[in-house]
Amino acid sequence: MRTKSCILVMATLALLLTAGNAAALEKVYGKGVSAADTVLISQVLGDPDAYVDKVVRVEGTAVAVCKHRGCWVELASDKEGETIRIKVQDGVIVFPAEIVGELVMAEGVFTANKLDLETSKKVCAYEAEQAGKDFDPESVTQCVTLYQVTGSGAVVMDKPAEEASEGEA
Amino acid sequence: MKTFRKICLWLHRELGFVAVGLTLVYAISGIVVNHAHHWDTNYERSREVFNIEPVVIGPTEEIVPAVLQRLQLAEPVKSTWRAAQDKLQVFLPDGTVTVTLSTGEVLRERFRVRPLLFDLNFMHLNTGKGPWTGIADAYAGVLIILALTGIFLVRGRKGLAGRGGVLMGLGFLLPLVYIIMERYV
Repeated sequence: MRTKSCILVMATLALLLTAGNAAALEKVYGKGVSAADTVLISQVLGDPDAYVDKVVRVEGTAVAVCKHRGCWVELASDKEGETIRIKVQDGVIVFPAEIVGELVMAEGVFTANKLDLETSKKVCAYEAEQAGKDFDPESVTQCVTLYQVTGSGAVVMDKPAEEASEGEA
Repeated sequence: MKTFRKICLWLHRELGFVAVGLTLVYAISGIVVNHAHHWDTNYERSREVFNIEPVVIGPTEEIVPAVLQRLQLAEPVKSTWRAAQDKLQVFLPDGTVTVTLSTGEVLRERFRVRPLLFDLNFMHLNTGKGPWTGIADAYAGVLIILALTGIFLVRGRKGLAGRGGVLMGLGFLLPLVYIIMERYV
């Protein structure tokens, strides 16, 4: 009986030790990236209809991340002030707060959701709250089309701190 | 029957010890995650506002060194981003600095991983996937064995035929009543 117990305990410990690797996972999220070419974010957002429902691979600095569940990350475009959102399924991929500031390559299907006015106001209110800005619902008078990449995977690219600090807007 | 009960007792006792640590991981994180809408369960966050000397708006490559020089940051800079004509963001390992160039107003947002809770949630929500998926599945199997073997441990009035049976019924009734009320009434 004692031997059996020892085997049981040792098997459990072996499993737990293997699990130690989970915390030190590579910086690959979900399925990673596999598409052949990277498309410029400005190119996608400049002509969104050409990319809707197509798989795109984009690259940019992560400038914001979902604070609640890590279910989206915003990548900075090559065009100043422009961003694209990579939305992933809740819980399937979780982007950590530490990803902000890193160079990220992400892949997924580019989608367009035309929202009704009520939902447009809610989305704008949420975005204002996330950005810590004041929001007036009456300022939204037109329906918003939400473009985003429904992400299947992402990879954090290596980038030395000194090089990064040189600026990349 | 005696041998069967003996096996149940052995399994329940041995696996019970194994399950203690994992149960604590899932139970503590479970409570925490249930209340995730009240607070950030993974990070402590703080905001601080201060001012630096305003920066003349110009090309990004000229603005970045000027802002960094004024900020005098002790931490290494990960990257910077010109969020708008009047806004520069500086990304640091523990947060973000947002500078309004024309006014010199600086918003310093910091986050810090909550010790222990972050790791418990990481395991509970299986964020890392990989080997933990197997461990979590095995743990779920262990819980099933614990539940089933536990039924046969005690005989008589306090066992399945008596109080134990009533308590077990309660354990089935709670989720059953909840799901009927929530979904079908």
